[in-house]
Amino acid sequence: MQAHFAELAALANQISGFIYPNEIELQWSILIVIYPYLTGLVAGAFILASLEKVFNVKELQPTYRLALLCAMSFLIVAPMPLQAHLGHPERSLEMFLTPNGNSAMAMFGFVYMWYLMLVLLLEIWFDFRADMVRWSQQSKGLKSLFYKVLALGSTDISEEAIAFDHKAVYAITVVGIPSAFILHGYVGFIFGSIKANPWWSSVLIPIVFLFSAIVSGIAMILLIYYVSSLVRGQQPKMPCLDKLASFLLYALILDFSLESLDFIHRLYESEESIHILSELIVSKLFLSLTIVQIMLGTILPLLMLAVSRYSRLPAELKRIVYVISAMLIQVGIFSTRWNVVIGGQLFSKSLRGLTAYKLEMGGQEGLLAAIGFLILPFLIFLLLIRILPPWEDEKETVAAAIEA
Amino acid sequence: MSFLRGRLGRSKVDSSKQAVGGNSPVKKRNLSIGKVPDQAVRIGTVFILAIGAAVALRQHFIPESFGELGHYRANAIPVIAGAKLHYAGWQKCGECHEDQLNKKMGGFHKALSCETCHGPAYDHAVVDPTDTEATPKIPRNREFCLTCHSYLPSRPTGFPQIIELQHNPMEPCVKCHNPHDPAAQAEAPACSGCHGEIARTKAISHHSLLRCETCHATPPEHKENPRQNLPKKPTNREFCGQCHAEGTPTSGTLLGVDLSTREIPKVDLATHGNTYLCWQCHYPHDPEGK
Repeated sequence: MQAHFAELAALANQISGFIYPNEIELQWSILIVIYPYLTGLVAGAFILASLEKVFNVKELQPTYRLALLCAMSFLIVAPMPLQAHLGHPERSLEMFLTPNGNSAMAMFGFVYMWYLMLVLLLEIWFDFRADMVRWSQQSKGLKSLFYKVLALGSTDISEEAIAFDHKAVYAITVVGIPSAFILHGYVGFIFGSIKANPWWSSVLIPIVFLFSAIVSGIAMILLIYYVSSLVRGQQPKMPCLDKLASFLLYALILDFSLESLDFIHRLYESEESIHILSELIVSKLFLSLTIVQIMLGTILPLLMLAVSRYSRLPAELKRIVYVISAMLIQVGIFSTRWNVVIGGQLFSKSLRGLTAYKLEMGGQEGLLAAIGFLILPFLIFLLLIRILPPWEDEKETVAAAIEA
Repeated sequence: MSFLRGRLGRSKVDSSKQAVGGNSPVKKRNLSIGKVPDQAVRIGTVFILAIGAAVALRQHFIPESFGELGHYRANAIPVIAGAKLHYAGWQKCGECHEDQLNKKMGGFHKALSCETCHGPAYDHAVVDPTDTEATPKIPRNREFCLTCHSYLPSRPTGFPQIIELQHNPMEPCVKCHNPHDPAAQAEAPACSGCHGEIARTKAISHHSLLRCETCHATPPEHKENPRQNLPKKPTNREFCGQCHAEGTPTSGTLLGVDLSTREIPKVDLATHGNTYLCWQCHYPHDPEGK
C-alpha cells in the first residue's frame, strides 16, 4: 500500500489543473491498448482475404491463406491482454454461462466466439481440408493421424467435394465480411458508447476504428507476405505487392478522411469539453497523436504510397517504400489505439485538469507483458504455418507429387 | 491406418473414387446425408457436439437459483444474510449510553453514527457487554479527528478544518473539544477557524490589520448555525469611502488601524469607477490598489 501511495505521489507532480482524487491513476493500462490493436489486425486481415475470395482480386491470391492464418493468430491472442488485466480472469467465463444482455463488454464475448468459431475456424477448415487429406495420405504415423484428426476423418477429395469446399468458403466469407465489420466495429462501439467521456463518446468511433483496422490489417499482411517471401528465398510477386499497396492507400485515405471529419465535427460543435481536449492534444498527446499518429503514421506513408504507387520507380525501390510505409502505418495505428484508450483517461471529468500515465516496466500490466502479447501472435502464426503451410507453390508441388 | 492404403502414388480422381466408396476394396466411411456431403456432415457433427457440450456445461455450472429474482443467485441472499454482523447501529448504543447519544444528537456530529468513531460494536452491544476484549475503542489521538478536519481545498466552505501545524500543534483535540458535542466554544474561535483560505489571503494583503467584523457585522448565532445567521456585507461605495474617499483622515486611528503605519490610497468617490461598486473591480480580501 505504501509503495502504491509513493507511485501516486510521483504521479501527482505531473498533474495539471484540477482533477478528482480517483483520476490520478489510470484504470485501463497498455494492455487495453493492445486489445483493439490486435482485434483491428484480425478484422483487417480478414477483409483483405475476402477481397480475393468474394471480390475476385486475383493478384491477392498469394496472401489469401496467409491473411486467414494471420487473422487466426491475432484473434487467439486478442482476448489475452484483457484476461491479464482482470483481477479474477477465471470469472470472465461467467459471461458465457450467465450472459448479461445489458452489458456491452459481456456481449463482446459472443461476438468474439461467433467470429472465431463460425467464421475464421470454419473458413480455414474448409479451405485447408483437401490439403489436410493429402498431407494425411502422404505422411506416416503420428503426423498422418494428426492431419486425419484435423480433417475430422474426411478423405473425400473428389472434384465435387472440393467444389463444395469452395462454395462453403465463399459463403462463409460472405457472412464473414459483415462479421469482421461487427467484430471491430463492436470494439469501437464499446468506447464510442461511453457517454460520460467526451473523447470517446462519438458515433463515428466504430467507423473510424473499422477503417483503421482495415489499414492495419492490410499493412500487416503486406509485411508478413514480404518477410515470408524473403525467408523462403523467393521474390515477392510485384503485382500482389502493388495491389496491396493500392488497397492500403485507398483505405488510408478513407481512414484519414473519417478521422479528420471526426476532428472537424468536434471542433465545430465546440462542446464544453473542447478546451480540455485541445489542451490534451497539444500537451500530453502531442507526441503520440500529432507527431506519431498523424505525421509519421498517416501523412508520411500516405505520401510515400501515393508517390511510389503511381510513379515509375524501380521494383526494388518500390518494395522498400511499401515495406517502410507499412511499418510506419503499424506504428501509427498502435498510437491511434494508444491515443484513444490512454488519451481518454488523461483528462478529468471536471474538464479542468490532466493527469499522467506511468507505464511500468515489469508486472502483470507492464511494458514487458505488453511486448509479450505483441510477440505471441507471431509465434502462434509460425506454428500455424508449420501445421498448415499456406504456400501456393508448395501446394502445386504436392499436387504434382500426387499426380505422379 | 487403412486410409493410407492404396493412396499414395494414385491420381486424384482415383483416390476420390475410392474415398466416396466406389468399387474400391477399401471401404471408406461416407457420412453424406442426401445432398449434404461427407465433410459438411463431419464438421456439422463437431459443431453440434460442441454446442451440446456447451449447453450441458452451462446446465452443470449455473447455480440452481440463478435468475429467480434477477441476474444473480437467489440463494446468495440467505448466505449473505447469515454472514457475521459487525455493526450494531446507533439505536442499540443508545439503549445503554443514552446521555452520550442525546448529547451527540444535539450537536454538529448528529449525522455521524457512534460506530463511525468507536468502531464496530456488535459483539459489545449485542453479544456480550461484559466481554472486555469487545469493548469499543475511544480514539483520543489527534490524527483520528484530522481524518475529517484537516485542511483540504475540496472540502465544503464552512466545514471546520484546521492546518495541523498551526492549530495547537501536538495537543489532542479532545483537550478542548467534546467529540459528542463539538459546538462552538465559549470563547469564540477566530473567523479563520472556518474561513481559513480567506483569512490567509487577507493576512498578507493591505487589509491585514482590519478585523473581519469591521466589514462583516456578524450575529453571535452565526457560530452556532452559520447558514441561518449569515454575516452582513457592505452594500455601498460609501462604506469603502470611510477610509478611501478623498478628505478622510490621514493620521490618527481609523477603524482600529493606526494610520501612521499605512499609506491609504484615496479616490474621488464621485468620479472614480463611474457607478460601479468598489468590489466589482477590487477584491476586498486582497486589494491590489497601491
